[in-house]
Amino acid sequence: MSRHLARSLAQLLLTLAGVVTVAFFLMRAIPGDPALYMLGDYATADAVAVLRAKLGLDLPILQQYLLFMQHALTGDLGTSVVTGQPAMTEIASSVPWSLALAVSGMGIAIAIGVPLGIVSASRHGSWIDRAVMVGALLGISFPVFWIGLVAILGLAHKAGLFPTLGASSEPGLWTSLHHLALPAIVLGLSVAAYIARLTRSAMLEVLGQDFIRVARAMGVSEHRILYRLALRNALVPILAVISVTFAWSLGNAILIEVVFSRPGLGSTIMKAVLARDYQLVQAGLLVLAGAVVFVNTTFNILYGVIDPRLRTR
Amino acid sequence: MTMSNNQREVQAAGRRRALQAIGAGGALSIIPGWVSLASAQPLERLRIRIGADISILDPARIFQVENQSVASNIYNGLVKYDAASNKIVPDLAASWTVSPDAKAYTFKLREGVAWHKNFGALSSDDVKFSFERVLDPKTGSAYRGQIADIVQAIETPDAHTVRFVLTASNAEFLHKVTAFNHGWIVSRKAVTELGDKYNLNPIGTGPFVFAQWVPGSEVRLSANPKYFEGAPKVQEIVLRLIKDETAAAIALEKREIDVFFALQQPEVIERLRRTKGVKVLERPASSTLNLVLNTSIKPLDDVRVRRAIAHAINRKALIDGFFRGTKFEANTVFTSAFEDNTDDVPKYAYDPGRARALLKEAGVSNLRFEITTVGLSPYDKLVVPIANDLMQVGIQAKVRVLERGAYQQARSSGNVQSCVTSVVGPPDPSAPLVTLFARKSFPPGLNSARYDGVEDLLKHVASELDAGKRKELYAAILRKTATDLPLIPLYADRLFMAHSDTVQGLVQNSMFTVQGYPVSLRSA
Repeated sequence: MSRHLARSLAQLLLTLAGVVTVAFFLMRAIPGDPALYMLGDYATADAVAVLRAKLGLDLPILQQYLLFMQHALTGDLGTSVVTGQPAMTEIASSVPWSLALAVSGMGIAIAIGVPLGIVSASRHGSWIDRAVMVGALLGISFPVFWIGLVAILGLAHKAGLFPTLGASSEPGLWTSLHHLALPAIVLGLSVAAYIARLTRSAMLEVLGQDFIRVARAMGVSEHRILYRLALRNALVPILAVISVTFAWSLGNAILIEVVFSRPGLGSTIMKAVLARDYQLVQAGLLVLAGAVVFVNTTFNILYGVIDPRLRTR
Repeated sequence: MTMSNNQREVQAAGRRRALQAIGAGGALSIIPGWVSLASAQPLERLRIRIGADISILDPARIFQVENQSVASNIYNGLVKYDAASNKIVPDLAASWTVSPDAKAYTFKLREGVAWHKNFGALSSDDVKFSFERVLDPKTGSAYRGQIADIVQAIETPDAHTVRFVLTASNAEFLHKVTAFNHGWIVSRKAVTELGDKYNLNPIGTGPFVFAQWVPGSEVRLSANPKYFEGAPKVQEIVLRLIKDETAAAIALEKREIDVFFALQQPEVIERLRRTKGVKVLERPASSTLNLVLNTSIKPLDDVRVRRAIAHAINRKALIDGFFRGTKFEANTVFTSAFEDNTDDVPKYAYDPGRARALLKEAGVSNLRFEITTVGLSPYDKLVVPIANDLMQVGIQAKVRVLERGAYQQARSSGNVQSCVTSVVGPPDPSAPLVTLFARKSFPPGLNSARYDGVEDLLKHVASELDAGKRKELYAAILRKTATDLPLIPLYADRLFMAHSDTVQGLVQNSMFTVQGYPVSLRSA
């Protein structure tokens, strides 16, 4: 186990270094310049040169990279070229928003998707199965921003059940939950569609195997077959899709964040890319990559708990 | 963050109500409890929608309307534009005198003006510091070029007198010290002590004090009870970031916000005009959107080709159709927000026949013409009908849409054939003229036409002391630029803002900012 952990840690560091390096050079390769962005309409040749020097952008790129890595190793990811604030401060302030949305959205998605997938697989070919699959197809096909706008129009505007704005800095747990509810439901529904489809197909695959047929022949109850034998075997692929969509929803919830006017990691990184705020992009991607690796590692350990065959690998 | 007792009571009442609801009737009645909580809104808080997050609140480097809107509630200038009339009126300076040759401007500051957050009293030294900071190249101020050639020295004979000595006579100098961008006065003590932190912890003298920034979500300003013109009528301003205009419209209709700032989409404007309890304000802006033609690239160096392009574009159809009448027609880069605007300039009516004839006269056939534009609405879309118009007269028009950073880079290179440009700012007549037509604004500046036909006139107009003659000189510049046509004004912008009927006293200015000072709220 400790060897496993050490390997995971090494993998984490390597991934993070790789992500930051790619982000560093990619951001500088695309056209655009933070100095031009900030000077805007009043950019003159002098002003651009002065600001570039002030921001350290006039140094050779390799030197900039070495300086950045040197600071990064001591935990300093630099300051945002636009606001002058430490990059990590702004990123850290958007993490709780993203985490709350991703966790609650995934909770809803699992609570809806997994049972629907099981029910669908156990009644393979029935009208319930077809209804679930059509519903899931719609959930996957409609873009999440469209579902979000329809939800705002229907549930917030017409029915008046939720606020239009998906975030509030007012104190109080009720207020926070009330504002979070609609974006979480929308994210949950769109992810639930994937989970339902995958749970169904994983279950169907296991249900078609010989040991299930033997269990049935031996007279094991259908309930026990479904939940003890089949589900446990189908859990690994289901967990895999959950881990992938969790990481996805952390950063890629930009559309939900825009529609519901919520802060978050995705929109912060997006804003930083548009402003060519190099340090902010790097810090944001570092956190995002860290989260993805962390979630994957956690689920890797979970696979071993669920399926003893995977422990030795 | 400090909350007033009143707010706390309202929130506590909301919580009590929610708890009672849960206790009384189970799951279903939780929902009405929540709703009453959401609508519990202390009267004295003004909630304003902004469309983008803030980033820079240091006046030396400030840009973008969201930053400027926040700053306009925090800071003062020596003088300011009256929001309704655009006349220059006193702000921190109670009075001022101009020397007969207009080479020295002396301002008498108000007494007893205090900086926010106990940074002491305003003095003439703060004023000197504010402008010298902009002039110092090390500050990296975008506005250095606005005053660098004009100001020779700033003197402070006493704590409440500040004198600007200019390099040459300048009758328009007050525009350079109005409350906007570099004209906002900062505290020497605050800037020095706060250092890098100052940018997002601004200290001003204005009616509101910067309280809190929640990145990606909102900015909070609290009322300054000691404001020299009297405490504001609202206790707090919350500037709420809502990017999507439709979502913002619904939030306004549901009274989750009070003011919809930077309202732009024609469909949303139409929707809000029909909504009960919502008022839509509008006002001519001080900016035009222009199609800039690079006069250093053949055959655009031939004025006949530039005029042919102008005749080929159906600008009226663009305004009536694409923008559903939410813009004004324009023949010069001045809008009706400028006193010195004139209509007595050459005009280029939509006339495809004339366009073809002019191209033929210039000996140009199969002209390949590329319009570079920025991938932001509406600039990415409005060029399509324009390109289509140009095709009709035999010009092979092509549209190149670039992401904002790439667009700025392409435009500042000076190598694009044509691009779209707008100069948003205060109603300072020299601002659009110098920025678009002066030699010092050649790329990376906005004069990507590389046009220098009014260089002498621009020099004369600032030093002309007679207002009547100055007006004539402005008219001459506008006529000359409309004749030479280094750029084609596509439309004069129009600013829209909407508010719920609970908002009283809101005055829309022509500078694309929103100010909470005159506003009071009444119950719906």
